[in-house]
Amino acid sequence: MSHSVKQFVSAVALLSAAFISGCDSVDPPAFRMNMVEAVSYETSSDYQQEIADVLGALFGTPDEPFALPETGLDQSKLTQSAGAAWSDEEGYNYGLYRKHCVHCHGVTGDGRGATAQFLNPYPRDYRPGVYKFKSTFNAAKPTDDDLHRVLINGIPGTAMPSFSLLPGSEVESLVEYVKYLSYRGEMETKLIQYVFNELGEDEEEADDGTITVTRIPLDPANDPDQRDAVMELLAEVVEEWDAANGMIVAPEEESIPADDRSPEEILASVEKGRELFYGKAANCYTCHGPTGLGDGQVDDYDNWQKAHKKFLDETVKMADKDELDDYEYALLGQREEVSESLYPLRNAIPRNLRQGVYRGGNRRLDIFRRIYAGIAGSPMPAGGPTGPGAKSALSEAEMWSIVDYVLSLPYEPASQPQKVTPKYTEAIAR
Amino acid sequence: MRRFWSVLFLLVPILGVATFVAAPYYNIWFPKDVSEHGRTIDNLFMFILWLTGIVFVATELTLFYFMWKYDEKSTKTPVKFSHGSHALELVWTILPAATLLFIAIYQMEAWASAKMQPPDMKPLVEVTGRQFNWDFRYPGPDNELYTEDDIVRTDGKLYLPVNEDVLLRITSLDVLHSFFLPNLRMKQDVIPGMQQSMWFKATDTGGYDIVCAELCGWGHYKMKGRVYFLPREKYEMKLEEMRREQNTMRAEIPEEDDE
Repeated sequence: MSHSVKQFVSAVALLSAAFISGCDSVDPPAFRMNMVEAVSYETSSDYQQEIADVLGALFGTPDEPFALPETGLDQSKLTQSAGAAWSDEEGYNYGLYRKHCVHCHGVTGDGRGATAQFLNPYPRDYRPGVYKFKSTFNAAKPTDDDLHRVLINGIPGTAMPSFSLLPGSEVESLVEYVKYLSYRGEMETKLIQYVFNELGEDEEEADDGTITVTRIPLDPANDPDQRDAVMELLAEVVEEWDAANGMIVAPEEESIPADDRSPEEILASVEKGRELFYGKAANCYTCHGPTGLGDGQVDDYDNWQKAHKKFLDETVKMADKDELDDYEYALLGQREEVSESLYPLRNAIPRNLRQGVYRGGNRRLDIFRRIYAGIAGSPMPAGGPTGPGAKSALSEAEMWSIVDYVLSLPYEPASQPQKVTPKYTEAIAR
Repeated sequence: MRRFWSVLFLLVPILGVATFVAAPYYNIWFPKDVSEHGRTIDNLFMFILWLTGIVFVATELTLFYFMWKYDEKSTKTPVKFSHGSHALELVWTILPAATLLFIAIYQMEAWASAKMQPPDMKPLVEVTGRQFNWDFRYPGPDNELYTEDDIVRTDGKLYLPVNEDVLLRITSLDVLHSFFLPNLRMKQDVIPGMQQSMWFKATDTGGYDIVCAELCGWGHYKMKGRVYFLPREKYEMKLEEMRREQNTMRAEIPEEDDE
């Protein structure tokens, strides 16, 4: 009797212990490894773990992010943006990223949140650190103000809404956190490449001729050379972002059209813009189409999709090979697993210029910058120089004319059918 | 415990009425009305609330009375079934029918002025719902929508004049939305491919909520904005400011931090 009671009690205790610990052991959200990069560079699972550890040491976790002083990121802003969403008694909000952004852009900022696959275009993957709508030269990073503008105005033509009703300090915190996710993502890719290029297996031949193979671990904590190399990589990432403010495209004063142009002057500029649109130097129509409907070419991809396409193509190529050794076979398995996890590829469709929807903003300056610097990460090339002092395909005056033409397109009939006038109808009727 | 069920049912009208009495003190009653016609809507609501409220309380009290009086444990006489009353049937058919007819006629003017008689003017703004934002297009200086001087704003802030007739044109780019201004007692469903109108006259300056009142997708809750009512002068200044901003051609270069 007493034995069965004991059994019953211990069973209940065990069950409740399992229940309680089960509740506690819900994993906190974690940053996900960039598997396209990791598998492309054949990163072994040991190295993947070590890279994750190094990234954890440099950037912390989604719940407790931190930024080394070298990054220049504001820790208090990161703290306010990260973690679970909650408000303190004074109404100060925390966990902003998870409240407002995470369901599209994902915990890692990889553009793979829960709702991401239902969107067209897909949400931005912050990890490569490339942003389309910015004030700087094509290859440069965006400024804080650029990211701020996107949060305030949203991106018309996409599912990105405006966050202008959030307090200014919250928007600033989110900008900081988005930059943090980019720093982290860029650093991850750099570490994967570093491991591929610098580390690996070391073969040592002993005196008796036996060869021992040892793996060189990624362990910057104990290897001063690796430590220097990792900090050097981080400095490269930070430097590019810090340089953004010096890379802003500012139109030269003498080419800016006057504010009080007469309708005739504007019309002349529109005509010039039209010529350029179909001309060889600007060559807008090959992509945006002969009528500006964005149907000139529809087969190209943006850089994010290009990276996935390359990965998919190489996987198919590998699968088609006749003979694979064990290592290649394992790699193919990994490649196929990652391929299946990717969202379906989508083409980068050029903008339909007759809709008057401008994703990067509808100020004349915004459209000028799109033409001048192109759109980073997309097939849209720069009409202006690629950097300060570089050669330019178009003059600024020409680009302003294209701005005039582009802004007139939504209001210009795509074809110009002749109107029927009643002039001759009576004569014909007779 | 003998009359447990009858007392339990008595709690329904008591708690029901208490909820309405307490609501304004807990700030879960109507938001502030800042429109000219809002009072008509609120009065209609209050009229129907009182009407149904009184009927509700009376019915519940009758129910309580019968439950109390014919309690199973204390009533020893057996139940007698009757097969209804023609007169009663007539009364409770005609009475609600007449009441409904009265309400239908009584609210006609309110409906007509809110939904059928737009002011004779051009729309001040075209509101476009898209997943998941309200975008605004002002006609610009020439007062004509879809011309080159239009001002398009996507920052979720709508500016309108106070104490003036306002006509909005409302459309959708993708799916069903509903443009809802709780402080103006105005709500209009929007259907892609159709143009809807909304008109009102605001009586107070200030910023008030815009929300989407039709589930339009997973980001439905993100479709909020603010409408700001400004005196004519400030409204025109704001329009001019937005026009200038759209015509920006010069870049502001942030000054380098001197360390």
